[in-house]
Amino acid sequence: MAGGYKGKILRINLTTKEVSTLDTAKYEEYGGGHGMGSAIFWDLVPDKTIKAYDPGNVITIMASPLSGTLVPGCSGRTEVQGIGSQGYPVEWFTRSNFGGRFSGTMKFAGWDGIVIEGKAEKPVWVDIRNDNVKIQDATGVWGLDTQEAQEEIWRRVQSDTIGNWSSIGSARDSGRTTQRPAVLTMGPVGESLSRTAALIHDSGNGAGQGGFGGVFGSKNLKAISVMGSGSVPIADPKALMDARLWSYQYGVAGHPDDLSSAGAVSMFVNPPGNQAGSGKPVGMSGIPMGCMACHRNCRLRWPDGAGGSNGSGCVDYLWYNSHEKAANGGVQTPAMLAATDLMQRAGINAYMLEAGILWLVALNKLGICGPGKQIDTDLPFDQLGQLSFAKALIDKWVNKKDIGAQLHEGLARAAVAWGRYDEDTASGILPLQAWGYPQHYDARTEVEWGYGTLLGDRDINEHDFNWMRWTMAAVNGGTPPCSPQVLSEIMAEKLTPYNDPMMIDHSDEGIYSESMAKLVAWHRHYTRYYKQSLGFCDWAWGDYVNPYGPELRGMTGEGEPKFFNAVTGKSQTFAEGMEIGRKIWNLDRAILILQGRNRDMEVYTEYNYTQPAVPGYTTYEVPYGAVVFENGEFKYKSVAGRILDRAKVEEWKTKFFALEGWDTKTGWPTRDTLSKLGLDHVADELEKNKKLGG
Amino acid sequence: MTDENKAPEAPAPESTKGSGLSRREFVTGVGGLGAGAVLGGLLVKGLLLPDEVIAFPASQGYLLVDTKKCAGCTTCMLACSLVHHGETSLSLARIQVVNDVFVPCPGGVAQEQCRQCPFPACVEACPTGANHVDTANGNVRTVDASKCIGCERCVNACPFTPARAIWNGADKHAQKCDLCADTPFWNEKGGVGGKQACVEMCPLRAITFTKAKDVPLQGDAGYDVNLRQGDKNWKTWGLAGA
Repeated sequence: MAGGYKGKILRINLTTKEVSTLDTAKYEEYGGGHGMGSAIFWDLVPDKTIKAYDPGNVITIMASPLSGTLVPGCSGRTEVQGIGSQGYPVEWFTRSNFGGRFSGTMKFAGWDGIVIEGKAEKPVWVDIRNDNVKIQDATGVWGLDTQEAQEEIWRRVQSDTIGNWSSIGSARDSGRTTQRPAVLTMGPVGESLSRTAALIHDSGNGAGQGGFGGVFGSKNLKAISVMGSGSVPIADPKALMDARLWSYQYGVAGHPDDLSSAGAVSMFVNPPGNQAGSGKPVGMSGIPMGCMACHRNCRLRWPDGAGGSNGSGCVDYLWYNSHEKAANGGVQTPAMLAATDLMQRAGINAYMLEAGILWLVALNKLGICGPGKQIDTDLPFDQLGQLSFAKALIDKWVNKKDIGAQLHEGLARAAVAWGRYDEDTASGILPLQAWGYPQHYDARTEVEWGYGTLLGDRDINEHDFNWMRWTMAAVNGGTPPCSPQVLSEIMAEKLTPYNDPMMIDHSDEGIYSESMAKLVAWHRHYTRYYKQSLGFCDWAWGDYVNPYGPELRGMTGEGEPKFFNAVTGKSQTFAEGMEIGRKIWNLDRAILILQGRNRDMEVYTEYNYTQPAVPGYTTYEVPYGAVVFENGEFKYKSVAGRILDRAKVEEWKTKFFALEGWDTKTGWPTRDTLSKLGLDHVADELEKNKKLGG
Repeated sequence: MTDENKAPEAPAPESTKGSGLSRREFVTGVGGLGAGAVLGGLLVKGLLLPDEVIAFPASQGYLLVDTKKCAGCTTCMLACSLVHHGETSLSLARIQVVNDVFVPCPGGVAQEQCRQCPFPACVEACPTGANHVDTANGNVRTVDASKCIGCERCVNACPFTPARAIWNGADKHAQKCDLCADTPFWNEKGGVGGKQACVEMCPLRAITFTKAKDVPLQGDAGYDVNLRQGDKNWKTWGLAGA
């Protein structure tokens, strides 16, 4: 096989206890990660309409050829897929991913990924030590929180040895390591099958969305532990070393004496330990903590005793830190870290907590939620911002007590249970954007975020164009490194194969245009392949506008293939990679369609069409500047207050489907489109189910 | 758990104990032979100075680290294995970084580089001269794999945990940090006069190379130093210990 691959994927059937392998070569055309996961799911799950907690659901945990190598902001990611329990009203086939060292360790153990199917009779954990795989009894591990579970497994696997040479296996040459096992676990909420249960690895790495912790729970699977002592073959080691050193010129690592990039527009350039600026307790600083082979190390190790919040970032804190700060007279305290620690140990999807608190507080203010109210709870709203409130909420959530019994099922289903779904998603006090996913960025302003979410399976959580609002637009107080005209030129160069400068036009007309359709299509294809299949981290890539680049051009288009080809020995172009992404996006679309998707369902929640885009839908969002093309020129302009026009969104969907080669009546791919992508077998299955685009 | 998981004991000063001769007697008996010579199953290592004291010339370069800077990303380890072996592996890395993720800072991270010891116990322990002082490469302590018989005495002799002389179970020989003297898999020149992959690759500059005129202070403080102070970015970024 090409460099970067180990050649086999571990397949475990928890029902039959059978451990076998899949041939990676069979799926090599998809690259790795997500593409392989979708193709494997397609092959192993004949009835795509089964529920998330059906033992027939297959969960894939995939590395990429670049995992465990030296690709900056890439080699640390692991991709998780399967039917997720979070999606509302349908449990869509979905994805999540997480950082750390799990994917690299799988590769060192000899595996390109792990596939889990079936359901164990009793709680188990999977113990992988190179090619020795055992399904172990989880008595004494089941019931532990995510930190305790990992610590217990470390004890069981290697007596908690760390930092000394430890043998994997009993032979002299069966491999040694100084590293602890890499463990992926769910917490107590996964054991009780919550749709809000995450998968946690080490400290601060989480596959938060999708409900995969609940899927693990439904399989009686507590955790997977991997120890590996092998190597990843690299086709061209010199090229890989050169590529990495080249990339350092595009980041702070290569500019020790030049801080002009601080707070810059490029994710790749962002400094270590800055966790998206999600705040620090006053007077406290930490040391950077990062994923395998990362050049940025964006997270922090903290100095106080709240060990579980080491390595957390962004929404891991944002769900609570603004409340904490407000309750302390505008001063952030270490309670922020303790709240995060509670959340991580419980293994709850932080986005659910974030939107959940905003909603509950709004209901409390309306007199609907509180002691003796219509939604009866003793949650201490007067202690919002204190650790006691966070603890009380998480306790209820984990133990399904009080309002926790409904919240445990996720916010959408809780709202349905309380008879509040329609009203609260119309007013927006329950800020679920689509499919039961809390609003992450605003569909009314950052339309490509919303569209990608709507036409896919989940909150996209891909910031490629989000940075334009945070740092480019003068309306945010940021200093753009270039004019909007130059920005449009750079983006036109980068966004192969469409290369249309109008793709970044977020004016009131532009957001419904065919150029916007191209932007959304580009984004879905790029992320399906480069980010989700090869592992390029959203917090470092794509690199579009880079202050250190020649004439501000970042690495995207050149960098991704450079690294991929150095590792694999292939000569793949960026355009070829984008086409693979389009193939994966179409395969995923087919799975969603078999689950029941059609264009009529693809409608945002009501507030997106009726309420203006203003702060308050998240704990961190601000009115957005955008790049707009008006009166013959590109400008930066605030688009705060915008709402979406229902009819125009529908027209835009038609344009998007036409661009993608999907039947515009249904949003279903046509045979011609699928056939040209090498997906005839997919077209056959859709046709058999009377869901092929006409 | 095997014996190798216990901290190795310091090597016995009298390596010729079993022979019934004192070191001095032994050396006097065989005369002036160079490093690595094998004579009738017995061995002389090091240089023979006129007053018959065995000494090892000091390395001309040392790696220094800062465990209060290290992010635990293991880039150094992957780079080390790549430039030496053409593949990425943590187990083949001649620098080991260990990250105890739940431990608060400034603890929780250890960077375990070879100290190029002035008295290299690994060299002294080697019965074939495979593990030797490479006088052609700045006196770096390194393993000639072609002479390694796989006894692992060097691995056991290293006084540090984890042992800096490591066992390569795939190729079946010992190996250790050679300051990148023998690194065919990159386009830079390594060794004492060149670059070290871990130093070049560390994204936080938590490893540095010194061609100190004096051997570092022997002890942790000599090898785990403050590299934050000289890094003006560290303070700007609001990181601990600036």
